[in-house]
Amino acid sequence: MTRAKKKRGWLSYWPRLLFLIPFVAMLWVPSYNRIEPELGGIPFFYWYQLGWILLGAAVVLLVHVIDTRITHVTESSRKRLEATDVPGDIL
Amino acid sequence: MTLDLTATIIFVALFLFVTWLGFVAARWRKADLNLLHEWGLGGRRFGTVVTWFLLGGDLYTAYTFIAVPALVFGKGAMGFFAVPYTILIYPILYLVFPRLWAIAHERGHVTAADYVRDRFGSRMLALAFALTGIVATMPYIALQLVGMEVVIGALGFPAGGFVGHIPLIIAFIVLAAFTYTSGLRAPALIAIVKDVLIFVTVFAAVVVIPAKLGGYGAIFASVPAEKLTLTPPSGDSLGSYSAYATLALGSALALFLYPHAMTGILSSSSGNVIRRNAALLAAYSFILGLIALLGYMAIAAGVDRDPAYAAGFAQYGPNFAVPALFLASFPSWFVGVAFAAIAIGALVPAAIMSIACANLFTRNLYKEFIRPDCSQADEARMAKIVSLVVKIGAVVFILAIPQAYAIQLQLLGGIWIIQLLPPILLGLYTRSFNALALLIGWAAGTAIGTYMAAAQGFASSVYPLEIFGVTLPGYAALYSVVINFLLAAALSPPLDLMARRSAASTAS
Repeated sequence: MTRAKKKRGWLSYWPRLLFLIPFVAMLWVPSYNRIEPELGGIPFFYWYQLGWILLGAAVVLLVHVIDTRITHVTESSRKRLEATDVPGDIL
Repeated sequence: MTLDLTATIIFVALFLFVTWLGFVAARWRKADLNLLHEWGLGGRRFGTVVTWFLLGGDLYTAYTFIAVPALVFGKGAMGFFAVPYTILIYPILYLVFPRLWAIAHERGHVTAADYVRDRFGSRMLALAFALTGIVATMPYIALQLVGMEVVIGALGFPAGGFVGHIPLIIAFIVLAAFTYTSGLRAPALIAIVKDVLIFVTVFAAVVVIPAKLGGYGAIFASVPAEKLTLTPPSGDSLGSYSAYATLALGSALALFLYPHAMTGILSSSSGNVIRRNAALLAAYSFILGLIALLGYMAIAAGVDRDPAYAAGFAQYGPNFAVPALFLASFPSWFVGVAFAAIAIGALVPAAIMSIACANLFTRNLYKEFIRPDCSQADEARMAKIVSLVVKIGAVVFILAIPQAYAIQLQLLGGIWIIQLLPPILLGLYTRSFNALALLIGWAAGTAIGTYMAAAQGFASSVYPLEIFGVTLPGYAALYSVVINFLLAAALSPPLDLMARRSAASTAS
């Protein structure tokens, strides 16, 4: 049971590549080290990074949702496979 | 400064309330607190909401609330690196820690040292982990006291001398007592109160104070232009850009290696609780971002030029910026609420840190090297006693040693703790690394990182690394952990080969 759960191909981890986006955005400092455009009097440097807190959380949430979908799909197809005992039906 | 009576009464009342809560916590989700995983990990039963409060209370400490705006107040844009740092910790939390949780849960690990001991079969590596964890956390606990001392001083209690330390000592006796009886349940429950107070305070601050100062435009306009952005690099140096990026990345990689963060993670009830929290904890990051801006509000309000706060600034330096700003902007009763939020914000992480140190000492030093045959009840009893010793140590530390040393040691702590990253990360996916190679990598990384900080006179953890004539000022922790990792990877195959040969020769 736990063995089968662990067998999840490398490719199914693709959503985690999305984590590259916040890393690139935040570590590429020259891209946001400026004053203009201001937002309600707040320089770009500040509102941009504050905005990325929300975007970063959105990325994590998105990865989590896709991840659970993938586990759900593989789990349910595995269960159907075990129930019918006819692998050919699905594969 | 004279004692602000209204603020003090509110402050003391809230403090008494959480004290009561700390003792009541022993009966929350009642279980046998004579078992270490019950006392020290809350029985690994905390769901998404409690874990959110616990980790939030654990990672966003009183010292953060005082020191981050103080850094922005003093150094401007560079201090804002705390924001990208808190953005990057959550992908890391999501990628690494659910898997670590699963392994620790299956194998009954209570500490990170338990985990490497099991993964790589090395007592010495586990010992290195336990010592690093304890040594890096002690100054961190001491700094929580600094945060508390600043607000107690700001209430108008006489600063300095033995009398000045009495409120702090009382607070820590209370903390020690409820941690002893209730274990991790106490900070988990108190964290809820702490967070409500912090949220109220911060929202009031970002609405009320800008309104008084003429809006955000006026606040930023009053900040000197050279503070508002990072100085662009010039010549052969990447200057503040590489420093900013490496500080954010290095701090993010180090955070969850701290024993108290590990304790918070391992106490959750499933990997999914951790994944969900990786998204939800961003709410605290946002609060931290707003708190960082308080540094500029303090500049705009001109609190450092106000003679009423001159004594405070003389005593506590830039750390007094936020308390002074609150005193200048809020009515007395709300100052009491805000200061209580910061002081209680010191209690929660201090409790979790002392529990984490106690877990490390008991599991990986006491049981491993001194009394391997001790019973489970002995183990829990020992941990409770050690949690007391750790807290007394922190108080003595802060009373006996100049504050600057605590800050320098905490800076070194970050460099030391990040050296645990290679074994933890590698252990998730492979057990085939050679333990001796990991140990050598750890020792080299620790030595080089310490050297880099020493070269800056322990005043800064930014080391000007020179590669091909280009200077890359960057976080010493990040540079040294790269060396650690490369060394471990390079030495592992030959050391493995040697071990296999000697095993074969003894067998034949």
